[in-house]
Amino acid sequence: MMKEIYLIVGFLQIVLVILMQWQVYLRKIVLTFAASSVLIALFLFADGLILNSANLIVLATLTLVIRATFIPAYILKRLNKSHREREPRQVIPTASSILLSLLLVIVAYVVYNLTLFDITYIKAGSIPIAVILQGIFLIISRDNAFVQLIGYMVMENGLFLFAGYMFPELPLIIEGGILLDLIGIVMISGILMRLREDAISNTTEEFEEFKG
Amino acid sequence: MLFFYSVLQLVYVVLLAPLVAGVFNKLVEIFQSRNGPPLLQPYYDLFKLFGKQSVVPGSASGMFQIVPYITFTLYLFLTLVLPIITGFPLTFGPVVDFIGGGLIFGAIAVLKKIAALDSRNNYSHLGVSRAASIGALAEPILVLIFITFGVITHTNNPYVVNNVLQSSSHWYLSLIHWFVVLAFFMVLIIETGKLPVESHSNNELGMIDQAIEMEYSGAELALLKWGSYIKQFLLASVFLNDFLVPFFVPTKPSIPAVLVYCIVHLVKLMALMSVFAAIESTISKYRLFKNFEYIAVAFSFAFLAIIVFYTTGGNL
Repeated sequence: MMKEIYLIVGFLQIVLVILMQWQVYLRKIVLTFAASSVLIALFLFADGLILNSANLIVLATLTLVIRATFIPAYILKRLNKSHREREPRQVIPTASSILLSLLLVIVAYVVYNLTLFDITYIKAGSIPIAVILQGIFLIISRDNAFVQLIGYMVMENGLFLFAGYMFPELPLIIEGGILLDLIGIVMISGILMRLREDAISNTTEEFEEFKG
Repeated sequence: MLFFYSVLQLVYVVLLAPLVAGVFNKLVEIFQSRNGPPLLQPYYDLFKLFGKQSVVPGSASGMFQIVPYITFTLYLFLTLVLPIITGFPLTFGPVVDFIGGGLIFGAIAVLKKIAALDSRNNYSHLGVSRAASIGALAEPILVLIFITFGVITHTNNPYVVNNVLQSSSHWYLSLIHWFVVLAFFMVLIIETGKLPVESHSNNELGMIDQAIEMEYSGAELALLKWGSYIKQFLLASVFLNDFLVPFFVPTKPSIPAVLVYCIVHLVKLMALMSVFAAIESTISKYRLFKNFEYIAVAFSFAFLAIIVFYTTGGNL
């Protein structure tokens, strides 16, 4: 039962990152991230119910409150109105980045089977690694600080998937600590980004919109 | 007896294909709070076009006029080999498998493109170049989908795929199957020229397949139009019978069961058309170059199906 939930949530995470690569508007990327966090919370909740662990249920609640609600809402609030519906600049063209993101899933599968599989003996263990690699790729494929922040949090979603399935006994203090740290990071970077947006004149960026 | 079913299937598809297109057009208009054309409008159009005189460009070769007849015949052949109202193979069923069917669809597309190039019309050339670049990327997705089905059912025969999915809830509920369904649905939108990929308006901005038949008129245009209705009917039927809802398809030859399924199938098609109409009314068209991103996502789904198979060992 646990394995099925893990596989479904894991592959949906991969799909959601691919959808994030596809989205052009910041608002939709943030909402997609919120959806992927809800899935992680559901996964942890199911994990907690099956293993009868209160720690995991607390963690699931924290994930739902912080990652799936507070952080997306905070980022959306921080975004300037004009930026909310604007296309961020892309370093790598969208179609290529979707395919590269897919390629990373295969890379993760191959690398995992060659290395970690000998220790864990879990066949589907490559999924969280794929999500982490995709998160890194989301960071380098976009030239927008908010998307990069989301890429960072996607990596963390991958970590939670990894820890939740393979090491559910991990102490709450570590995972909870990561979650709470995140609030600080997001709030500080939100303020910094706002300052940066206000400081940099965006006359040239306005003309970017005319490009096809 | 199988021959009778074949004829029944042929008549069913050829006669009802324009109706399905008519229902789709009507639904789109209703969703947009308009009255819309009558349900039988495609029949009226075909009837009118068959009565009109054909005009052929002076610079076109004989190919231009023959192609609509060849493509229509090929569509009729496809009607005989796909599982539409029966889950058991008909007389010509063993002739081709999924890949063979795909090849015939490909042959039709190529013939249409050559004829469009032959017409020396600028807009047709524009349509050919767009259709070719999108088709070149959409076809590999179809092949990947069929390979995935080949892997899980050990065959490429559409009838066997239908029977396997109908009888095995393990495969029907598997993640592999649902990724394939998603990918095929996205390809279906490309192949039938629906929004968000193609918009059927009077300007050339959104034209892809529509531009190909620009120079045709009279009976040839009618055959091309009828052919595209049949194509939509066939692809939607394959999607419903082999992918999304393989249930209720009669697996044993029995006239009452097949006749009842004819009606059930029509209901399934109407449901699919209302989904298409809902998409058509809610989503705006992508810019032409954004279509390739859409195709990349469809490819991702098809490929993920294979990755799921390898990471789970086919156990999910």
